[in-house]
Amino acid sequence: MSGCLAPIPDETLLDYWARDLPDGDEMHRVEEHLFACGDCSARLEHLAALGTGLAVLAREGRVSGMVSRTLINKLQRDGVRVRMYSLSPGETVPCAVFPGDDLIVACLRADFSGVETVTLSVTGPGGSALARYDDVPVLQASGEVFWVNPAARIQQMPTMRLELSLASADASRTEIGTYVLEHSASTPRA
Amino acid sequence: MPATLDLSDGDLARAISARGAASAEAAESELYRRFAPRVRLYGLRHLRSEDAARDLVQQVMLLTIEKLRGGAVRDADQVASFVLGVSRTMAKDLNRTEWRREKLRDAFLPVSMVDVPAGDAMLDVDRLEACLGRLADRERAVVLLTFYAERTGNEVSKELRVTEGHVRVIRHRAIERLRECMTSVEGVQ
Repeated sequence: MSGCLAPIPDETLLDYWARDLPDGDEMHRVEEHLFACGDCSARLEHLAALGTGLAVLAREGRVSGMVSRTLINKLQRDGVRVRMYSLSPGETVPCAVFPGDDLIVACLRADFSGVETVTLSVTGPGGSALARYDDVPVLQASGEVFWVNPAARIQQMPTMRLELSLASADASRTEIGTYVLEHSASTPRA
Repeated sequence: MPATLDLSDGDLARAISARGAASAEAAESELYRRFAPRVRLYGLRHLRSEDAARDLVQQVMLLTIEKLRGGAVRDADQVASFVLGVSRTMAKDLNRTEWRREKLRDAFLPVSMVDVPAGDAMLDVDRLEACLGRLADRERAVVLLTFYAERTGNEVSKELRVTEGHVRVIRHRAIERLRECMTSVEGVQ
């Protein structure tokens, strides 16, 4: 039961699980092996558990960083309560976390003509760097990128002003837009 | 007679086919323990639903044991292929028709063998959250689109504007980093 002599490569196992292995001879060979080999099926089990864990985190709104519209749509379809603040360049928007929120999304709109990837820099009081996201792909047609944070995390933040700056991620570092979120801390319940 | 744990798949199949022997029941349990997780994974991969995968496990294992008991599996050493073949057929059926689960379940197996064993791989989700936060943005986007949004490499490539090959490289690297982070003794800061 142990010591597989011809283990399925990790990449193949991952392709199989991600449905990137064409439905043909190779997939059938992989499945024949998985059914006959305890070692490789256990490896797939661990991979599947990792995938399940990632899906659980997403469904609980426990994701952060830059995400796509596709992902936000899926989260909303799955019942994640998303509060979205949309900002155009130069705009200042008040924001807060409300009871029941799972995920807080800042939708940053801009003209991305000629830009393929951007960098988002987030600074707090006194210009302190809070976060930076590099090499974020943009879909020019959509004209927006999304910065997400779990509501539970934002809820811990004090009242503060957040300055967000989008720049092209290429060597030119051309400024695309700046935005301000005036965050109000949640009022503790009596 | 060696312990059932040490028997090959083929030996287990033969022990079940022999019936009457006191070891047959133990062999059935061991066969179930060995193959139920594999059928579940097959179900998750092809049916994308935990409930459907659990249904598939019950149906496949019930039918397999029934066929073994009846001596209908010609080559006991090929029992793994037999289980896979049944899984393929039943997964297709599951997509087309309603199941006759209760009838089959009640007919053949004791209740203790109906529950699908959970995977051995238990995961610390809090730790995974921290590990996910340590990935590069593109890596995080790829694994979430793959494992949560269930997008193929081709679909992710269009979304992130990189080649499909690059998506696979990013995905593989991200999974390796998550595994390392999850097993790191240093913990996650």
